[in-house]
Amino acid sequence: MDKLRVEALVIGGGIAGMQSALDLADQGFQVALVEREPSIGGRMITLSKVFPTLDCCSCITTPKMSAVAHHPNIRLFTYCEVQSVREQGSGFAVSVVQKPRYVDVSKCTGCRDCEYECPITVPSPFDRNLGAYRAIRVPFSTAVPQKAVLDPEYCLWCGKCEQVCPVDAIDFSQQMETFTVEAASIVMATGFELTPVSTKKEYGEGRLRNVIDPLMMERFLAPTGPYGRVLRPGDGKEPTSIAYVQCAGSRDETLGITYCSRVCCMYAIKQAMLLNGALPLADITIYYMDIRTFGKGYEQFYQNAKAMGVEFVRGKVALIKEDADQNPVVKVEMTDTGEIVERTHDLVVLSQGIIPACRPTVSLPVGSDGFISVPEPDCAPCVTERPGIFVTGTAMGPMDIVDSIISASAAAAEASAYIRENRAALEVRKEAAYA
Amino acid sequence: MSAPDQQPRILILGTLSGGYAGADSTGQSHLDYPANTYILPVMSPVMFPPEFYLRSFERGIDGIIVMYSGTDSPYKVEADLTARLINRAYGMMKERGLDIRRLRLAAICTVCVKPFLKEVNQMNELLKGIGVARDELAAHASAAHLEKEAAHG
Amino acid sequence: MPEDREPRIGVYICHCGGNISGTVQCELVAKALKGLPGVIITRTDESMCSDAGQSMIEQDIKELGVNRVVVGACAPMLHEQTFRGAVTRAGLNPFLYHHVGLREQDSWVHEHNKSAATDKALRLMSAGVAKARLLKPLEPIRLAAEKHALVIGGGVAGLRAALDIARQGLRVSLVEKSPFLGGRMAQLGSVFPTEQDARKLLQDLIGKVAAHPNITIFTQAELTGVSGYVGNFNIQVRQHSRGVTEENAAALMAACSQLVPDPFNYGLTDRKLIYRPFEGCYPSTPAVDWEHYDGRPFDVGGWPIVLKDEPREFELNVGAVVVATGFDPYTPSRGEYGFGELPQVVTLPQLIRHLALSKDGQGLQWNGRAVRDVALIHCVGSRQVDGVHTPPPDGQLNNYCSRVCCTASLHMTAELHKRYPQLNIFDLHQDIRTYGRGHEEYYRQALEDGVRFLRYDGAECPVVCAAPKGDTHPVLVKVKDLLTYGEELEIPVDLVVLAVGMMPRDIQGLVKMLKISRGTDRFLLEVHPKLRPVETAVNGIVLAGTAQGPMNIQESLSAASAAAAKVASLLGRGRVELPPFVAAVDEHKCNGTGACVEACIYEGAIALQTSEENGRQIKRALITPANCVGCGACVSACPNQAINVQGWTLAQYQAMVEAIGAEMPALAEVPA
Repeated sequence: MDKLRVEALVIGGGIAGMQSALDLADQGFQVALVEREPSIGGRMITLSKVFPTLDCCSCITTPKMSAVAHHPNIRLFTYCEVQSVREQGSGFAVSVVQKPRYVDVSKCTGCRDCEYECPITVPSPFDRNLGAYRAIRVPFSTAVPQKAVLDPEYCLWCGKCEQVCPVDAIDFSQQMETFTVEAASIVMATGFELTPVSTKKEYGEGRLRNVIDPLMMERFLAPTGPYGRVLRPGDGKEPTSIAYVQCAGSRDETLGITYCSRVCCMYAIKQAMLLNGALPLADITIYYMDIRTFGKGYEQFYQNAKAMGVEFVRGKVALIKEDADQNPVVKVEMTDTGEIVERTHDLVVLSQGIIPACRPTVSLPVGSDGFISVPEPDCAPCVTERPGIFVTGTAMGPMDIVDSIISASAAAAEASAYIRENRAALEVRKEAAYA
Repeated sequence: MSAPDQQPRILILGTLSGGYAGADSTGQSHLDYPANTYILPVMSPVMFPPEFYLRSFERGIDGIIVMYSGTDSPYKVEADLTARLINRAYGMMKERGLDIRRLRLAAICTVCVKPFLKEVNQMNELLKGIGVARDELAAHASAAHLEKEAAHG
Repeated sequence: MPEDREPRIGVYICHCGGNISGTVQCELVAKALKGLPGVIITRTDESMCSDAGQSMIEQDIKELGVNRVVVGACAPMLHEQTFRGAVTRAGLNPFLYHHVGLREQDSWVHEHNKSAATDKALRLMSAGVAKARLLKPLEPIRLAAEKHALVIGGGVAGLRAALDIARQGLRVSLVEKSPFLGGRMAQLGSVFPTEQDARKLLQDLIGKVAAHPNITIFTQAELTGVSGYVGNFNIQVRQHSRGVTEENAAALMAACSQLVPDPFNYGLTDRKLIYRPFEGCYPSTPAVDWEHYDGRPFDVGGWPIVLKDEPREFELNVGAVVVATGFDPYTPSRGEYGFGELPQVVTLPQLIRHLALSKDGQGLQWNGRAVRDVALIHCVGSRQVDGVHTPPPDGQLNNYCSRVCCTASLHMTAELHKRYPQLNIFDLHQDIRTYGRGHEEYYRQALEDGVRFLRYDGAECPVVCAAPKGDTHPVLVKVKDLLTYGEELEIPVDLVVLAVGMMPRDIQGLVKMLKISRGTDRFLLEVHPKLRPVETAVNGIVLAGTAQGPMNIQESLSAASAAAAKVASLLGRGRVELPPFVAAVDEHKCNGTGACVEACIYEGAIALQTSEENGRQIKRALITPANCVGCGACVSACPNQAINVQGWTLAQYQAMVEAIGAEMPALAEVPA
């Protein structure tokens, strides 16, 4: 296949992209969904539980993933990247690169025999590199599609997978392939990354072993997590004192990230509650400037955490260092008393914020915060500066899952209206041309 | 090949988005558990009247685990109703001399691999100890018969 | 039809390239199943999901007359759809297919006990065959759907939802209770974060709505009755008279002298009984305030003219309903922070109106006095705590955060500082929640502008009281300020502004009519915040905007567009298609006990219907498939086993259980 024509191309297969694709497809539009990872699911599928309902995250995400995979109007392209977008006629010609999986997906049954045979162990980014998987593997247990992918960076090309594959699906000869998608409209759902704290000298620049990021904690807490329990990455010890440093990389002029990342208060509180269950004896402290539990049911969630015994300390953490036992020591100015104190914890989670994931291939103006610019947020919140291109989810600024899903449906509404109106305009023009 | 046949049999009623999916996750992890377990997908366990469980015990099932996830439905009512039905089943089991531990309600979600294994292994261990349901039913029936005879005699 | 004949079952077992056959002896299982009643063919294949495997099944359907198909393969989640497709291609009803998971639930979890795994496969497959014998062809529930939606509420969310639905080619009826469109947004000055003029934005939106050929607007209209279900709701509407026309409006307005407090300005000003709330309102024809009009004639050029409200009633047939009834600002109780007792205490919405009415070029005036110092108190009517706040008469505290007030407050301080640079502003908060894109800028701006921030603990709220006579300021605000380590401060001010939260509107009647639910916060409740965030438990009724919970304008717009997307998916094709897995009643067994009706969890899914048969009144359960989700609560409740969920019947389960529990012929060839 070298050309495909669709009415909407959705870039990004996280929760926002999936929801947009589903809403468009449900309206009868032909949709292509392009995801750069080997599976859809985005950040959400890596999370443990979701606030404020504390539903198991997988239980919310997997039905949407499978709906996307089975929808007759959605063509799913995983392990693909958008290379360029150019205007063509009334729509866009999008050049997409299919990265080689080295596995023939039409044959692979997801049996994982290759994975069991593969001698190479590599850190698993799905587990924030805390766990390991093989150089060839099904990306994770609920991945969609359930197809193996080979990582050429680590593969020794020993051929064991090829020998063991029962359906001859291993194909070392695969090359990058480029194809074109002609799309009447585009929905950008390119998602987020964590704010880099490696640039924050005061927080150890990522060198402190028992200072982790929140997505690592999500993996610790997830039922499918790398260790199946919570422990310190430094020495495997079970932590009895865990601290959260809020606004680590948000509302921070020194990092040039002045905005609020919206989700960190709630995920810290959620993790604190889950930790309370996983490690009932552990003390959990949250250092914060303002607690921003503004969503539906969120304030009650915060009050429940307080009642559960989670300690909320108002204070800005100025410095994190390490003692001789690799225990993180937090130096904090207590806003309520003015004291400057040092407190030692077993494990510190930096409540890092959200920055846009890079997407250099689609040229769109961005705001001063780096997220895709929306010129009329109080009028058309998903409409970008390029007609026919819409934006949703964390590509347009920090937001939580609930807000992302709403925004995704809104983007679908905008895109579908655009497609219809554009189509109608085209027909009018055609008639005019014949007349 | 008669050995597995004499083993107690465990019926698992797993909701599509709960227990059934949890069992699939366990399978994807290739984690071993006793083979005398038979999982049937269900929409919602609220559809089973208490008599269904009793009838199953009469027809060669020795333990039943109802696996559902509270998140299937926004309606807690559905979960509460299921719990009430199971409670009624307990009453009927007692009347027939059945150990009520043979029937369990468990919250299992799509990735609850460990809880799934725990439930299955616990039930299997229990059944090893208390034996098959038919024996209990028969013992109770004959005791009742004797009692009746004694009363008449 | 092939499916009506005796079951001719085809059984297919997949090796899955050794994944199943490496543990389960597939050939033995296939052989053992051959003897089961109704089974006419059993086959195994290296890869049943391959084209070759699927073609084999299709061929058996066409050539051998197979009319029930059972496949044992990987998890149904992966390939059930694939095989249903194959079955359909061969001309069989897709629901005459049953899938058994032999990989994830057998071969992969019993690798070390091959004989037991084989026995298990046999039992699971024979259970599948037992179910297949009882399978019936099913059709998705197809309901003709009106390509017409009702939107309740003409505020920004309702307008946006109406426009977005209309843009999808559907008809929309927009019903607004008040005489004018625009809702709460019309009362705002500028909006954050763009600083655009709220009324201008609104007028653009209203312009598009009014001009759209698919949209009909009904103002002064409300619902009086609702019946039907998704695709086919019947809505009864009552619409009040306008009372005046474009032609006689000017004369009548001139003749009208009676004044009433103007709710548009929260009672800060009065307006006439015949009124337009603001310049440029829509519709532009003035309306009569029927509530306050006592029927006295107006003297128009010597003619006594009496106006009459003669409401008209009509019906709308719509396929879906969008509820966009909006919010009310919290009204503090009398004495709460001095509200209602001290004239210097106002709410933030009141101040917004006051500023809109105030002329530039002079200082801020309140109550005839120049304002030099103003205190702004956050979280009034939000984040209320049991034991600290006095509950209102209904006993319900607002323990939620109202989400918009922090940014709205700092948006206000920015405007105040800009217009009145000399003003001293004190901001009393618990947490500053400027979470949105561009919102934090207002916080930074306020700090730059010299706004003095004070932080109070939710358990120790500030106290507002009259200053002693002769003081420089009329009001004192007392607060224990956490930013100065708990210092007790007394701030003399001229004006206290209460940043009041959002309250759900009183729409009890509507909630009952629509049979939708409210959450513990009394806002309308969605099915699930992530799975179905704008849908209610009643199929076809969706939510938009602040009826669901506090939101700012941007969020209301998104929610409204999301609601429109759902409506468009539902009605776009002119029919609604729902899965066939709903309750069905066996007329011969049902004797109208009503147990099912009582047990039913979902609104309007089941009811008792009385009919006459042979001169006798007979009661029977009647299912409304559009409202049934197939949970089966009615199944377990029915004493006569007269009701079942299609595709998942109790008899099918009983048959499966019997197959699993049965004494099986030993698989002699299986090595122990």
